[in-house]
Amino acid sequence: LLGLALGLTLAAGVQLALAIGQFQQAQRQAQAGDVRAIQPWMTIPYIARTYRVPESYLLQRLHISSGQSVSHVTLTTLAARQHIATSALIREIQAAILSYRQEHATPTPQSALPLYNAPLLGRAVV
Amino acid sequence: MYLPQLLSFLQAYGYPMLWLTTFIAALGAPLPITLLLLAAGAFSAAGDFNIVVLAVVALSASVTGDSVGYWIGRLWGSQLLEWMAETRLGKQVMSPETLARSREYFQRRGGIAIFLTRSLISALGSVTNVVAGSELYPYRLFLLYDVLGEALGAILPLGLGYIAGASWEALGDIFSAVAFFALGAVCVIYLGYRLLWRSAEGARLIGAERIAPGGLTSLDGEAEGLVGVESEVGVAPRLDDVARWRRSGGPGAPGDRPEQQRDI
Repeated sequence: LLGLALGLTLAAGVQLALAIGQFQQAQRQAQAGDVRAIQPWMTIPYIARTYRVPESYLLQRLHISSGQSVSHVTLTTLAARQHIATSALIREIQAAILSYRQEHATPTPQSALPLYNAPLLGRAVV
Repeated sequence: MYLPQLLSFLQAYGYPMLWLTTFIAALGAPLPITLLLLAAGAFSAAGDFNIVVLAVVALSASVTGDSVGYWIGRLWGSQLLEWMAETRLGKQVMSPETLARSREYFQRRGGIAIFLTRSLISALGSVTNVVAGSELYPYRLFLLYDVLGEALGAILPLGLGYIAGASWEALGDIFSAVAFFALGAVCVIYLGYRLLWRSAEGARLIGAERIAPGGLTSLDGEAEGLVGVESEVGVAPRLDDVARWRRSGGPGAPGDRPEQQRDI
């Protein structure tokens, strides 16, 4: 019995280590704004806040007229209402976020250039 | 299993839905309440709910559900135990001695069991509520340990969900793994302790035999513990030898000692 309990505890320990690894990966994805992290439980306002995309833009892309009607609706429910698969709705939202990012891509400011370029620029001006 | 539906309901109906679900889960329904609380925490981080109100709702629902379970046990479970103690059929299921021992054990250790089944091994929570009531564990003590355990068991997932945000699902996997690990660790510690205790007891009995090589006279009732144990003083007596020896007059009766003992 002790051996069985030890084996099960070790297996649970391995499972715990794997779960911690998956959590860290999920955290990295979320922090990087990776659109693959969009889940069926999310709502449109939640996605808008998390991915920093205007809610009105997402609603427009999804052909939803009133934002109020979907403010507390998960993607699962929304997909059921629109008679489409949840995965298809998620793909649509992912595409909308990516296109918004492309449309609003800001050029890298000069101040953000690596520091070692600064002396060269200075010399060119002089 | 029901999580997507529960999350949709949580978004649609808010706090009343969370209260009702938590209450039903506390009564023993197999609902993924920890995941729901993690999700609620994540939603509150995005501004959908107020985290303090969520904590109050979750705690009050859990404690109310646990109390209902306790009183079900107290009203009907204790009657069932009494029936078992009094009727012949009940005694066949569980002897009155076992019942008395379990009741006495729960009175001593029930508090820690109540606390741990709220926070660490929550799968056993609803059963523990009914058992606590059936064993007539004092309600005030039950409430104290219940509130302490639920404060950890309900507020911790809410807080962690709030911190983890969109990664709460992965955090849920950690919770499940921790619960399994804790359960396994408790089993290992308990079984290991029993094994060590038995070894120590065996060694103590052998030591006693060494100190008093006169045989069973000095052991006085502990001879059964030596059955099948080999020591430096020879092979310990078999149980039937001991019984025969006692029947024939016990200590001091020359010629009546078992064969093995004569060799000592």
